[in-house]
Amino acid sequence: MKENVNIRETLLKEIAKCRSCRFCVDVCPTYQASTGVESMSAYGRLQIMKYLLNGTLEFDDSLTFCLYSCLQCKRCEIVCKSKGQNLEICKLIQLGRSLLSGKLVEGGKHAKI
Amino acid sequence: MQRSKSLISQALSTLKGNMERTGDPLGFKKNYWTGWTKGLNLPREGETVLLTARMYQMLPYVIQATDMVASVKPILPLLSIKAFSKMFEKAGSMAGEAVLRLKAKGARNVKNKGENVLKGIVSALGKVGEHPAYLYEAEPYSGVLLYDLGLEKHIAPHVKKVYQQLKSSGVKRVITVDPHTTFMLREVFPSYISNYDLEVLHYLELLQGKIEDLKTPAEQKLPKEFVMHDSCVMTRDLGIVEQVRQVIAGLGINLLEPENTRQDTACCGGPVEYAYADLSGKISNIRIQELTTVCKNILVTCPICLINLMKYEKQMDIKVWDIGELLLSACKEKDTKYKER
Repeated sequence: MKENVNIRETLLKEIAKCRSCRFCVDVCPTYQASTGVESMSAYGRLQIMKYLLNGTLEFDDSLTFCLYSCLQCKRCEIVCKSKGQNLEICKLIQLGRSLLSGKLVEGGKHAKI
Repeated sequence: MQRSKSLISQALSTLKGNMERTGDPLGFKKNYWTGWTKGLNLPREGETVLLTARMYQMLPYVIQATDMVASVKPILPLLSIKAFSKMFEKAGSMAGEAVLRLKAKGARNVKNKGENVLKGIVSALGKVGEHPAYLYEAEPYSGVLLYDLGLEKHIAPHVKKVYQQLKSSGVKRVITVDPHTTFMLREVFPSYISNYDLEVLHYLELLQGKIEDLKTPAEQKLPKEFVMHDSCVMTRDLGIVEQVRQVIAGLGINLLEPENTRQDTACCGGPVEYAYADLSGKISNIRIQELTTVCKNILVTCPICLINLMKYEKQMDIKVWDIGELLLSACKEKDTKYKER
């Protein structure tokens, strides 16, 4: 449980470093394949995690799709680095999944965060 | 995406269950990963081992498993979660292995391809003086799916188990054949194990710099030109970019670069095929268009990229090759050439 609290804090702290430049959006393969849905991009996924963690959004089917469809390909990180921010975006999404996966295994469609 | 929570929940539960029961992501009890070694007489023990982590051997079964998930998906909205869960459980633990094994027989070309890749890697390593042992039935899976999907509770014990197994077998140096296993053993394992002391090398790193030993007139039987599809993990996680180019140049083959290449490579879509085949298909379609505008012979260095791009071979009249296949062909030609002398 304590570990989960640490992960939450780390995630919120790291996501707060994002300057919302959105240069990572266009290069994301899932964004390209979804013909322009921002929640299917790296930036979109970080925002979803932020709002899930602070309780603004409810963990549902569409958010599960957004978070578990990340390819972990790190193309976004190359752009983030080139723009001077250097966030480990895929690692953050993987950490977010580590908060969710246990709950999904136990709770299925009733899983909550 | 409708019922995504249930879909992912089931995929995670199946993976977790399979790993707990058998230590294998597919949940197979009977080994399917040693057949390729027939006739190679690889030693069973040694300080240096070749770790395939079953990745290439898994390919025919992965194709069948993802096909099965895709065929169930259209009826998902009609099923209650309870019925769906039961169906998945049965497929996973009882009939799963038999069904997948039977269905995978139809994917014989994929099986042969995977086996040829591994044989090619072993042949090439032999030419540069590397003769690793192989753990056969005891060869472990790296656990990369557990890590990628965030099954945090399960990854730590698995990583420790694999590490202990390698150490108790007297292993000091590991030669890997795919980017995902290399990433796990080089980047992830050390974060779970204090005093981690395994040396982990991808085979291309070993072939680089010793390229003269592999130089053969391979172009006589192989296409002269290939377009390179770099793997995301290989380039962005591991920084292995120039090694493959040097090896290919050493074989006398002309390697062409597509629009997105090296560290800026575009994903093949493979990592999400386990649950989102439609999305995966759209991503691979974008990438295959980029590649085929350059050349019809596509070169890959990753088993996931291999099966995901191979789907377009018939439809687009193209061919996808793993570098291991080229090495096998090159090494064979070299042997023949020497015999003729």
